[in-house]
Amino acid sequence: MSNNYFNTLPLREQLEQLAKCRFMHMNEFTEGVDALKGKKMVIIGCGAQGLNQGLNLRDSGLDVAYTLRQAAIDEKRQSYKNAADNGFTVGTYEELIPTADIVLNLTPDKQHTPVVTAVMPLMKQGACLSYSHGFNIVEEGMQIREDLTVIMVAPKCPGSEVRAEYVRGFGVPTLIAVHEDNDPQGQGLALAKAYAVGTGGHKAGVLMSSFIAEVKSDLMGEQTILCGMLQTGSLLCFDKMIDKGIDAGYASKLIQFGWETITEALKYGGVTNMLDRLSNPAKIKAFDLSEELKVIMRPLYNKHQDDIINGTFSSTMMADWANDDVNLLGWRAETGETAFEKTPAGDMEISEQEYFDHGILMVAMVKAGVELAFETMTAAGIIADSAYYESLHETPLIANTIARKKLYEMNATISDTAEYGCYLYNHACLPLLGDFMKNIDTDVIGRGLASDDNGVDNARLIEINEALRSHPVEAIGATLRGHMADMKKIV
Amino acid sequence: MLLQDLSVEFDQGFQLKQINWQVEKQQHWLITGANGAGKSALAAVLAGYGEILSGSTGGLPSSIGWVSFEAQAELIDAELKKDDADITDVISLGTPVREIIFTDEIDRSTAQDLISQFELGYILDRAFRKLSTGESRKVMIIRALSCKAELLILDEPFDGLDSNTHALLQAHLTELAKHTPIVMVLNRFDEIPDFVSHIAYMENGELMHQVERNDEAAYAELYQLLHLKTTQLQIPPADTDTVIPALNPQQPLVKLSNICVKYTDMVLINDLDWTIEANQHWQLSGPNGSGKTAILSLITGDHPQCYTNDIFVFGFQRGNGESIWQIKQFIGYVSTALQWEYRVGTSLRNVIISGFYDSIGLYSKSTNRQKQIADQWLTLLGMQDRADYPFNKLSYGDQRLLLIARAMVKHPPLLILDEPCLGLDDINRQLVLALIEKICVSNETSVIYVNHHAQDRIAGIDNYLALEKSADNS
Repeated sequence: MSNNYFNTLPLREQLEQLAKCRFMHMNEFTEGVDALKGKKMVIIGCGAQGLNQGLNLRDSGLDVAYTLRQAAIDEKRQSYKNAADNGFTVGTYEELIPTADIVLNLTPDKQHTPVVTAVMPLMKQGACLSYSHGFNIVEEGMQIREDLTVIMVAPKCPGSEVRAEYVRGFGVPTLIAVHEDNDPQGQGLALAKAYAVGTGGHKAGVLMSSFIAEVKSDLMGEQTILCGMLQTGSLLCFDKMIDKGIDAGYASKLIQFGWETITEALKYGGVTNMLDRLSNPAKIKAFDLSEELKVIMRPLYNKHQDDIINGTFSSTMMADWANDDVNLLGWRAETGETAFEKTPAGDMEISEQEYFDHGILMVAMVKAGVELAFETMTAAGIIADSAYYESLHETPLIANTIARKKLYEMNATISDTAEYGCYLYNHACLPLLGDFMKNIDTDVIGRGLASDDNGVDNARLIEINEALRSHPVEAIGATLRGHMADMKKIV
Repeated sequence: MLLQDLSVEFDQGFQLKQINWQVEKQQHWLITGANGAGKSALAAVLAGYGEILSGSTGGLPSSIGWVSFEAQAELIDAELKKDDADITDVISLGTPVREIIFTDEIDRSTAQDLISQFELGYILDRAFRKLSTGESRKVMIIRALSCKAELLILDEPFDGLDSNTHALLQAHLTELAKHTPIVMVLNRFDEIPDFVSHIAYMENGELMHQVERNDEAAYAELYQLLHLKTTQLQIPPADTDTVIPALNPQQPLVKLSNICVKYTDMVLINDLDWTIEANQHWQLSGPNGSGKTAILSLITGDHPQCYTNDIFVFGFQRGNGESIWQIKQFIGYVSTALQWEYRVGTSLRNVIISGFYDSIGLYSKSTNRQKQIADQWLTLLGMQDRADYPFNKLSYGDQRLLLIARAMVKHPPLLILDEPCLGLDDINRQLVLALIEKICVSNETSVIYVNHHAQDRIAGIDNYLALEKSADNS
């Protein structure tokens, strides 16, 4: 069994690593891709991230080739076709790894240990190994040869977006990190920055983080608010609406596209703006529901965070890996059989505002999930910047996958690691919210508040507005969205 | 009034061709078009002028009030002839205005009223041919408006009128329009009176478009078309601060050698050579699937196999550490695929400015100079009032026009137009072709033009590359 790297560190260092996250300034990238110019980059894996990052890097003037296992080449598997049809050199580990100045490991988490174990002996003295997720280093404690530099460059979007934004002349927000135990020549940061420029990430904003902060915050965000809450919320809201006699097509559509619509408001103006989209009585209702949800769900968020920090989560999941993914595959099949998943969205029109007005409970769930995830992460020593990105910032991206093809698309797009965590959350959260849901009716999900009277109590409204606006996720959110806006599209 | 398949020849050999036009009693028409398009000729046909070559007319009124440069010239000409005929030593003063106006068919009180409104009392006793252009124009107008006509033909009636008279005339016409059909000829839309209900657009002696005033979309398109045809097309200047590196004039712009594009299961292009020299214009054609778009994207760097082919573009041998942005800076590009990808809510002005940065959407702070240039383009396209309007809310044709402006804005050495007229209606197609012709003539940009339609040939393009479907394509 593997050694959890994080658990080998003294508390002082754990806290220091968890607290790393800084939004980098544009002028830190003036050297462009120079640090990688003329170097040979070999990418392992040619899935969506691998292919699209490679296309960007090559279009930025860098030398990119792909290495695949012999079987994938011989059988001309999809990964081989992806690389070959795009005019890349494709070769086996033995052929290409020894020529590489930098090896980009873009395979799924689950394959990291076998892949890295296989390529490490083939790597040049003093070369660089790059990851896009730190799980292998942090949770599995993979030991990398001392002469090798180890960095992480993680575009915070699906591979297709990484390419699409680059082609537009922009990029996607990207997280970079250097594994300090493996930076023998002190080149790690320069290489990671050049890599981020090569994929276009510097135009959209780069966060300088650590392997540990990335892993612990990423795991927490994806299994709680991002995927877990949206999955649990989808199932509960749908079943409730059907139970209360709402048309199944309408219920399916309200949920499938509702998450995307309401979290779009979140993206622009945080939780405050999302709640501000509701009428005053509905806002008070959503606020009260979310307060109730936070009390019920807080122990669950704490448990997820604790299991992630102490390594229980990763060892449980790795046990499932070792057991041929029995749990993961079983839960995946189970999700495919849920009523929500099997009911197609109706073809009725739902206006943008109606998604808010008829989805008060969904708004409350997003608010509760975002705030809880943020509060739990920061309480565990992850700094606010990281916690913001891994909770509020990514929620609209995941909501977008549900809009495309419901939970199937979400679970297909996210990593197996995220998917596993999502199911864990879902199984715990569904029963946890059982009593709460008994008191829920169509006024907060499906039909909207019955009364035309928009009157509210002044004092109560002021109190709620103040509470919304003074939550710490809103303060850091305003700052970071400000940075992003400087770089972002002039809309 | 009904004109059917009517072809008419005029004195100078000008012909109206195959006119089909019906004017109903309650309608008021505007005839418009560029100079020399046949606007005045069409109006003159209603007044019975021209020699009918074929076709027929029906229901033309017998009494017509006609104001036009031609009618004015005719009257002055007649006055001059009178003068010539009088072979005495006595200098003829010519016919006084009073006699010109108050003829038998004139409603005297209307005429009197107009004379006082136009403050023309002082010229009644002067000789008509001694009047200034503006004064004689006013006399023509008074005659036309007071002659109890069944139809009024007003050919550029506002020409040479001061603003007061202009307003008076507008008001009077609005009254008249309640009971008399009016046909106006104007080459500016901004003078169009509210009562006009229909618009006829002339081009090269043909009646190209008939549009109802309340069809807003068609009306707006016609407005743009007319604007483009009647404005001296001046391509806005390049931005002197956005420097495109100088190219070696001895080298071709593009040299493709032994090009092969293949996928694991098919060959799209096999062994193609193509060299484009500076200042050459090319038309690229071929059936669907012959690889037109693939070849163009090899040049622009958008096709991944540009790295596995022998491609020399703008001084770069591809695959030697250059970035695609170094290539794209030399290229302006329009295609349906680009329009499909360009789905952003940014403003029309920013869409044009994005051409300086080769980006879809605008991610850089633009300069004031770039904004000015973008505004000049918007003016050229007749969209200056919509500079801050969101791009994705525009009609398809307007989007296409803007993307063409975006492609041209930096005056690129190479402009690639991949079926720029695809999906455009007739009006927008003509707009686009007019713009492209202008670019071809300017000679600082080489154009590659891809299309299927032979009738969309562009003056100035004299090199052709026709692709065939690859034989290996199985």
